[in-house]
Amino acid sequence: MEIYLPVAEMSVYWLVMIGLGLIVGFLSGMFGVGGGFLMTPLLVFSGIPSTVAVATTLSHVTASSMSGALAQWRKRAIDFPMAGVMLVGGVFGTLAGIWLFALMKKQGQMDLIVALSYVIMLGSIGIIMLRESLQTLRAYRSGTTVPARRVNHPWIHRLPLKMRFRQSRLYISVIPPIAIGFAVGALSAIMGIGGGFIIVPAMIYLLRMPTNVVMGTSLAQIIAITAITTLLQATSNYSVDIVLALLLVTGGVVGAQLGVRAGAKLRGEQLRLLLAILVLAVGAVLLWRLVANPADVYSLYLEPAA
Amino acid sequence: MKRQALIALLAFAVPASGGAAAQEIVSGISQDVIQITSNYTGTDIVVFGAIDRIDTPQNRNIVVVVRGPDTPMTVRRRDRIAGVWVNNDAARFTGLPSFYYLASTEPIDRVAPPRALARYGIGIDYLLPAGVFSHHDPLPFRQAAMRHLKQQGLYAEMPGTIDFLSETLFRTRVPVPANVTRGQYNVEVYLFRDGEVVSAQSTPLFVDQTGLERRLFNMAHNSPLAYGLACVFMAMLLGWISSVLFRRPV
Repeated sequence: MEIYLPVAEMSVYWLVMIGLGLIVGFLSGMFGVGGGFLMTPLLVFSGIPSTVAVATTLSHVTASSMSGALAQWRKRAIDFPMAGVMLVGGVFGTLAGIWLFALMKKQGQMDLIVALSYVIMLGSIGIIMLRESLQTLRAYRSGTTVPARRVNHPWIHRLPLKMRFRQSRLYISVIPPIAIGFAVGALSAIMGIGGGFIIVPAMIYLLRMPTNVVMGTSLAQIIAITAITTLLQATSNYSVDIVLALLLVTGGVVGAQLGVRAGAKLRGEQLRLLLAILVLAVGAVLLWRLVANPADVYSLYLEPAA
Repeated sequence: MKRQALIALLAFAVPASGGAAAQEIVSGISQDVIQITSNYTGTDIVVFGAIDRIDTPQNRNIVVVVRGPDTPMTVRRRDRIAGVWVNNDAARFTGLPSFYYLASTEPIDRVAPPRALARYGIGIDYLLPAGVFSHHDPLPFRQAAMRHLKQQGLYAEMPGTIDFLSETLFRTRVPVPANVTRGQYNVEVYLFRDGEVVSAQSTPLFVDQTGLERRLFNMAHNSPLAYGLACVFMAMLLGWISSVLFRRPV
């Protein structure tokens, strides 16, 4: 029942890892996110070294997103020019993130920085999403019309280098998408995430993209960025475990397909409310681990064999 | 490594200088290679041997030590800073074995005086790091390292676990856990009489990955780009296959 991971150099129960992939994949498909923000902490909780967890989760995200993106592509719900523009920023962000990753590893503060960035990111985004979706749901219940959400950010429209994105029915500067791509690329390298939980709200609330193209476009962007980050992690940190990736991906792709079907039965507002609760829950667990008294204040690190 | 060579040298020199005619202890191990395969979850090796003179058990003791390759270790201490637990202080030790298992006929403080134990590195408390790098008192860090290594099953001291099959034949079972480092291990068997080593034997034991695991590990390090591409390709392929398979029943 156990299988040896050649790069992590440890044994795991393979059914547990497939199950982990299945559950996280299900949530990915349902919410249109990659699931890295769940997978990385879960792998670390189950004893996988955090460097391997961060690098290997990316493959899981690639696969889950692939299967989700193809479903969206058949519905013609991907804005490829938008994904491409974001990817330009994403490549530079990834390079910056890999550099920062190596620096933090040397300082011994890797775990802290990862945990802190998770808590801050998940906490703030979770709260914003929770508030917005609750307002929308309440308005829907009381029968009043949803307040017009096309509140434009004037500063975004004053930026130069405007470009027309037909599918999103937008004519905006390329700077905000590139900046979002950069931030997500950096986080992808540091946190082992595709960044869907950042891209999706950013596309909805900052870029004001129509909700129907948000999922597909973010998934296409996530596939590209996780593939690039996997290659960079494999060549610079040697921390991608292909056996672990195979286990997670196998569970993940099946879960993602089931999740897409489950997600289709729920309304957008409900989906966003559930995602907000999930994001906040993961953030709360990580925060608890940061502030709770540890069982042992000392930790031991054995340098791996050369 | 230098320290271990010295131990081996000393150990073998003792019978000669003591004037003993023949080696008084012979030993062997059930396998001299542990292969880490995809279903490796740890294994047991059996160390066996014979002593060629019948002694009274009161003053005769056997100690079996299995030592893994030396590995640098870093111990970090977290402190609460602004409400958050932060790695605040660290100590680094070199020259400590990555695996240490000791079996003996009696608790080691009854086998020999501390000086003799320290000379051969017998007993977890007598393992001394070759290098200590710390800004503060390293002792609590060393104790924490030993505590963690024991918890992880990498360090163990098991007195009274050597079985005698006859008056001269003995054997002991050494559990090797799944999380061991690859490399050369040494199985050392010591015969003590009246607190002195009278005979010793050291046998190498190799722990290594084999087959597919070895090839994957090598590929990850020697051709990382191809390895990374294989990973990405596998992920995309499986994503696509699942999407095709699940297409119909919508």
